[in-house]
Amino acid sequence: MAEQKLLNLKVDGRDLQVPAGTSVIKACHDNGIDVPHYCYHENLSVAANCRICLVAIKGQPKLAVACGTPVAEGMEVTTRSKDVDDARKGVMEFLLINHPLDCPECDQAGECRLQNYSYTYGRDKGRFEEEKVVKSKATMGPHVKYWGSRCIVCTRCVRFTEEVSGTQELGVIYRGDRSEIAVFPGKQLDNPLSMNTVDVCPVGALVSADFLYQSRVWYLEAKESMCPDCSIGCNTRVDVDKKNVIKRIVPRKNDLVNKTWMCDEGRLSFPYVTKDRLQKPLVKGQGSTWSQAMTAAAETIRKGGRVAIGVSAWATSEAMEEAGRLAKATGARLFGYGAPARDDQVFPGFTISGDRNPNRSGLTKILSIADADASLAAMAAEGADTVVLVNNIPNAPVPPALQKVLDAAKAVVVLDFAESALTKAANVAVVLATLTHFESTGSYINGKGLSQSFSPVLDPTTAGRTAQEVLRDLSHALAPAHAKPADKALRA
Amino acid sequence: MAETTATPPAASPSNPVAQTPVSAGPVSPSPVAGPPPAAAPPAPAAPINQVPFEPVVSAHFGKPNSHTIAYYEGHGGYDTARKFIGTPQAEIVQTVKDSGLRGRGGAGFPTGMKWGFLAKGTGKPSYLAVNGDESEPGTFKDRYILEFDPHQLIEGVIISSYAIDCHHAFIYLRGEFIVGYERLLGALNEAKAKGYVGQNIFGKGYDLKITIVRGAGAYICGEETGMLSSIEGGRGYPKVKPPFPAVSGVFGCPTIVNNVETICSVVHIMKNGPTWFRQWGTEKSPGFKLFCLSGDVNKPGLMEVPLATPLSKVIDHYGGGVKGKSVKAVIPGGSSSPLIKGDKVADITMDYECLAANKTMLGSGAITVLNETRDVVSAIYNLMRFYHHESCGQCTPCREGTGWLEKLMHRFHHGHGHKSDIPLIWEITRNMQGKTICVLADAAVMPMQSYLGMFPEEFEAKCQD
Repeated sequence: MAEQKLLNLKVDGRDLQVPAGTSVIKACHDNGIDVPHYCYHENLSVAANCRICLVAIKGQPKLAVACGTPVAEGMEVTTRSKDVDDARKGVMEFLLINHPLDCPECDQAGECRLQNYSYTYGRDKGRFEEEKVVKSKATMGPHVKYWGSRCIVCTRCVRFTEEVSGTQELGVIYRGDRSEIAVFPGKQLDNPLSMNTVDVCPVGALVSADFLYQSRVWYLEAKESMCPDCSIGCNTRVDVDKKNVIKRIVPRKNDLVNKTWMCDEGRLSFPYVTKDRLQKPLVKGQGSTWSQAMTAAAETIRKGGRVAIGVSAWATSEAMEEAGRLAKATGARLFGYGAPARDDQVFPGFTISGDRNPNRSGLTKILSIADADASLAAMAAEGADTVVLVNNIPNAPVPPALQKVLDAAKAVVVLDFAESALTKAANVAVVLATLTHFESTGSYINGKGLSQSFSPVLDPTTAGRTAQEVLRDLSHALAPAHAKPADKALRA
Repeated sequence: MAETTATPPAASPSNPVAQTPVSAGPVSPSPVAGPPPAAAPPAPAAPINQVPFEPVVSAHFGKPNSHTIAYYEGHGGYDTARKFIGTPQAEIVQTVKDSGLRGRGGAGFPTGMKWGFLAKGTGKPSYLAVNGDESEPGTFKDRYILEFDPHQLIEGVIISSYAIDCHHAFIYLRGEFIVGYERLLGALNEAKAKGYVGQNIFGKGYDLKITIVRGAGAYICGEETGMLSSIEGGRGYPKVKPPFPAVSGVFGCPTIVNNVETICSVVHIMKNGPTWFRQWGTEKSPGFKLFCLSGDVNKPGLMEVPLATPLSKVIDHYGGGVKGKSVKAVIPGGSSSPLIKGDKVADITMDYECLAANKTMLGSGAITVLNETRDVVSAIYNLMRFYHHESCGQCTPCREGTGWLEKLMHRFHHGHGHKSDIPLIWEITRNMQGKTICVLADAAVMPMQSYLGMFPEEFEAKCQD
């Protein structure tokens, strides 16, 4: 990395060093100094229109916007003073005079910057006695709704569609206090990243149609996770209610992976968690106990003739390790497969990967399957008597080559979390119920080779176990010599 | 003549304090962001404006066919451009600097100094953007130039563009200007046909393209960066400064923004020299200027007079005297400028320093006279309606504050004010002032504060309690 020139500045008496080109607000935020802001967003251009981030800079007669002022050597910044606070109080008052103050029915309540800053800069009583401006309500697109009267016209959403999605559906119409955000005629806010506009909206103007009126946010527990829907591996925050139900998924900042964005598909994919779940293992289509199922599975493999283990690119790295161990213990052949690929969707500030698997890199790095599709094709050509399938792909798209492998097999052992054609086929001997990534601990290696681990965000609602555990126990059962006593002790 | 005499304290593109050039739109308001601080009321040792003055920029206004190239060339038109294209550019810039010409759009920033700020060696083209948006209420001087002497403007553009090494100039016109647009377009086509605009001008190897851009009826597009956004095809939102246009202007390239009248003055300065220009006006306000006189005078209209002409002379001599009994107040420099009370009129000379010393400004040169019958509350309500309507809506304080002030003034206008509203008005104006990207908020606040400060009794009379 090229050596960056560092500049010295003083903020509220603290000496800081920041790289040249840093804005005052970023210098403050990076050093834990809070400067309120609405329009500023670290991954969008500077608009400097909300005017709440005003700070005092020594030697400058007027207050300056922290977002639009680059740090200069020797700069002395005061982020709180009477002048600064008065200016911010003025801005807060202006922002609220035409605001409907409809917090009780606003989706943003509880995570609204207008509410947050009101604690510090708000007035206890309004002084505006005139008639408020009422603006339109609109459906911007399939996933986003707009409450004009709540809008503070910070233009974050407009800048998002200009700079990150590049789709330019949004603009400001009218002027002055009649300004509204609107979609251009004949357009809809329907790009695959549209719901990021909801995240960037600092108030309740743009709201998610999916989450609308689903829950008050203070009833939700925010849990860190990651999105398994493609090989990007966006970091996410999963909001789960008190009944152990996912209410929404939003991106979590990770500058190495997804910055602050994620695609709509990823955030809306979670309903599969509750769909057609396998409640417990099945032996020949009948529900069974885990010990019966594991015995049956081990027997099937032991007597299985030529055994092959198919590992999907949705399996966690840990499950892949165990699959490798099982293959070694049983002499089985390994092959990989994944959900079908499509084209990458490239936007100016974000790419949605066409590889719809979270862990294709894991197959390569852990199981040395350089090309999953080639390994599947080879397997289809060769055939196997018994197939162990570690699936875990939601909505189970079955590639034709895989179908051929399964059809040719005498017996199949499936590890999956939901019922599907895969688990119902006639030659399926045992189905071992697994858990989704929302209920598991594990890790995925993304398309760039970055391994990211995740923890459960939901308590399991089924009797399923993680594929990793199931595979490990199969290894133990089939080749006690390879088993690790410590593991057994742990399980006891 | 020392070139520094006419320049304010050192300013640079990175110093936002010293450089806030704006044009016919909102004019620069606050003493810190506005024109260079003026010295104490001028006490010139030598009497000023002793040299008889004949109109220069407006010399041909109203003459038949004055907008045609035949007429213009018949009166020495394009001779100045022909003479100076091909000469060292730095000398032209120096001449303009020496003249002390200050921007005629409103802020009064020294033109030569502004040209000197143009970023060099950026690898990007430089642009000249001429501001003909002229939308400050009361101002109608550029309109006359466009309608009666468009070739003068084109010649000025040729000289100025050449001086700053620009090969593509934009002239931005207020959308409501129909005749002015048609005449400027006609004049541009005539000049192109003669080879004065286009490739290899006057055979001197200099190329210049001029594009006329029409606005769509927004006051804010007269603010220089709002105008640049509009030229770029965007919404007329003013841009965050720094960077200033001279560093990063239209399309992100170094841009000089000058008012129509400023550019026209350049022609005459180049033709006659800076010493000639400095025969009139004061050391810091040299030359002459177009003034637009309106309101309660017997002869409203456009006039061109030397700077530092007494306001009383403007009203009584050129304006035929006040209509009515007496002057209650004067708006000296467009609707954004604070008032001058009637009893102070005798002390005022129309130059940048004197008006600044009286806490107001020369602005665009739009003088509006209010006589004793005028209702100050009604007048400010009208202005607040204007600023509310014209706020672009980008910055919170202006977007919300202008609307709030209009609604308050609406109540006062209808006699429904409250005494408690008056301190509120003061606080709203303070919360708007100096807290926005451009100076429209300040332009709205200055008259509000001025009217309320000078005539509090009239506001109190409109209160119910």
